[in-house]
Amino acid sequence: MPVLEVDNITKLYGESVAVDTLSFTIDQGETYGLLGPNGAGKTTAISMIVGVLDRDAGQVRVGGRPHSPADRRSKALIGYVPQDLALYHDISARENLRFFTKLYGMSRAAAAREIERVLEAVGLADRADDAVRTYSGGMARRLNIAIGLLHRPKLLILDEPTVGVDPQSRNAILASVRELAGEGVAILYTTHYMEEAERLCDRIGILDGGRLRAEGTRRELVGLVGEHDQVVFKVEGDPAHAVPVLEAAPGVGRVQRVEGEDGEVVAFVADARAAMTELMAAVAAGGVAVRSVEVREPDLEAVFLHLTGRALRD
Amino acid sequence: MKALAFALLGLRRFFRERTNLFFVVLMPFLMIFMMGLMFGGTSQVRLGVSGATGEPLAARLVASLGADDDVEVVRVGSRDDLVSRVERGELHAGLAIPAGYDTTLRAGGRVTLQQITRPGDIAGLTAGALIASVVPKEAAPIKAAGFAAAQGAGTFDETYRAALGSAVPGLDVKVTTTGEAVMPHGAAGFGIWAPPLLLLYTFMTALIAGVGTVENRRLGVTRRAYSTPTSAGSIVLGETLGKLVITLAQGLTVMLGSALLFGVDWGSPPGAAALVVAFILVGAGAATLLGSLMRTEAQAVSVAVILGLGLGGLGGTAVPLESFSDTMRTVAHVTPHAWAYDAFTRLVRHGAGLADILPTVALLTAAAIALFTLGAWHMHRALTR
Ligand SMILES: Nc1ncnc2c1ncn2[C@@H]1O[C@H](COP(=O)(O)OP(=O)(O)O)[C@@H](O)[C@H]1O
Ligand SMILES: [Mg+2]
Repeated sequence: MPVLEVDNITKLYGESVAVDTLSFTIDQGETYGLLGPNGAGKTTAISMIVGVLDRDAGQVRVGGRPHSPADRRSKALIGYVPQDLALYHDISARENLRFFTKLYGMSRAAAAREIERVLEAVGLADRADDAVRTYSGGMARRLNIAIGLLHRPKLLILDEPTVGVDPQSRNAILASVRELAGEGVAILYTTHYMEEAERLCDRIGILDGGRLRAEGTRRELVGLVGEHDQVVFKVEGDPAHAVPVLEAAPGVGRVQRVEGEDGEVVAFVADARAAMTELMAAVAAGGVAVRSVEVREPDLEAVFLHLTGRALRD
Repeated sequence: MKALAFALLGLRRFFRERTNLFFVVLMPFLMIFMMGLMFGGTSQVRLGVSGATGEPLAARLVASLGADDDVEVVRVGSRDDLVSRVERGELHAGLAIPAGYDTTLRAGGRVTLQQITRPGDIAGLTAGALIASVVPKEAAPIKAAGFAAAQGAGTFDETYRAALGSAVPGLDVKVTTTGEAVMPHGAAGFGIWAPPLLLLYTFMTALIAGVGTVENRRLGVTRRAYSTPTSAGSIVLGETLGKLVITLAQGLTVMLGSALLFGVDWGSPPGAAALVVAFILVGAGAATLLGSLMRTEAQAVSVAVILGLGLGGLGGTAVPLESFSDTMRTVAHVTPHAWAYDAFTRLVRHGAGLADILPTVALLTAAAIALFTLGAWHMHRALTR
């Protein structure tokens, strides 16, 4: 039985649809990634799932039971790490943690034990009694995560936990998420970093404009693009001129302009290495001034581009 | 109880800030001293006397002056001392008895008493009126004895004793008041000013607590707390509880301190305590609502100050309710201040007890619960929209 079942949840802000009939499930021990650019609706979706935001339609089931904002029993199963730091800055990490153990209704003994455990897990044990205001951004982020782990949740929900974090903290965060998954925790992880989703998640949902565009394992998603490599040309002047030239070149399946990326045109080919010489010749003959060429093997970035016609990076 | 976790954390964070500690401790003492200066001992007129107070006739005069419960007679060493103490306001009025008071009178001579007051001091006027009524009464048997002695009816001592013993007919005025006086209490009539000041102060302090709630919402801590198995009610109760305790402690300290140190009259202690607690609860309820409605701390502070002063003014804590027109007085009772003011009036002026003002205490408590419930409901909405 899935730990989390999300069934057609929808959120409207006035006229605009922030989350549009979103559905997915997460099993025990599974890490599910919601990948999407800023404004895709990740935080809105997560807030509805956690139960800190009313939904306009749809159902959420946690541990098989229907879940809503007023439902305290299922909230006890969820660990929530919000995107923005939700901490008291004028007290220590330990005091922050102690406060939340009380909200989770933990006994004194359990609280003391779990506080030490999570401090150790996020590597804050030696600074636990310093005021949070003296922490680096990465340390504060790690404390933000630690709070979500205190009560050993069945379902851990992390909303872009690595934004603005130094590489070392980031690796530590990813490592502890993987460890938790290994212990059987179901994890919902949102990010707009493709590499994180690829490294961490068993399954990934691609979210854009509030809608789930595709879902599956990395391999399944990459499969959507076809067996294609991408050759990315950065050209001088109007890239519209380059499109027909590339389309006419031998071995090219499809050509796409990249929105938002200045002067980028992508040619999809079966084998980039084999096609390269002929491509360059065609471009030169067509009078296209090329500034740079880059070969990309299919990844989630390519999948996103394929699905939405836009780059994932913002 | 989860609300307690919020309250304890709130208190800890509050007291960690040194300036808060300073204000929390200092404010009540400032209030106590202010009240002491303004209203201290107002139920009694302090009348100083200097001079030959040990001589029998002078001693009788002083005793007569002090016979009134509302007058406290203070013996002062010299006339100069008397003048300076009246000037400083330590004494409401002074009466200087000249040297040789007894000797001169017994010899049939004339003595001039000197009355010292400050201009515009109502208590001083009261003391003057007292002196003006006591002195002729004392003078009458002295004059009679002097006259009889001069007629050869015996020594001054003999005729004086006889004059005191005889029921000499004379004129007396007995004063009764009717109707409700605007500010009748005590000789000075200031006593009723302490409660309004306390009401204004405590309500404002309680309202300011709502600002912390807004801060926690902005920090995202409130929402995160709502992601745990914690109800919106516990959250808002907890947010307000800590500050409520502080406000209550401050209010009761001011009452107790001003009563003990300066004799400020708050009426029946259980009545006054219950009233202030109920009133502060209303303030805390309003703070809860405020904390759930406002988006920024700056907004919350301005609204708290405007509401605190506005409701206070409308409720009779700036200009007394008694001077309001009937319509305005009715309108004023939308504020908890007016209800508390009325109840304090009964406690202080009419010697009412807790039982007499229980309806007001109940009404205020009900209002507090209503405000709190509304705040909790709105907090849930504010968090989940
Ligand atoms: N409280 C709100 N009121 C109005 N619009 C909102 C609100 N919160 C989010 N949105 C809009 O909903 C969309 C999704 O936002 P969000 O869930 O924060 O995206 P993400 O977390 O993926 O960056 C955005 O267009 C955003 O502007
Ligand atoms: Mg977000």
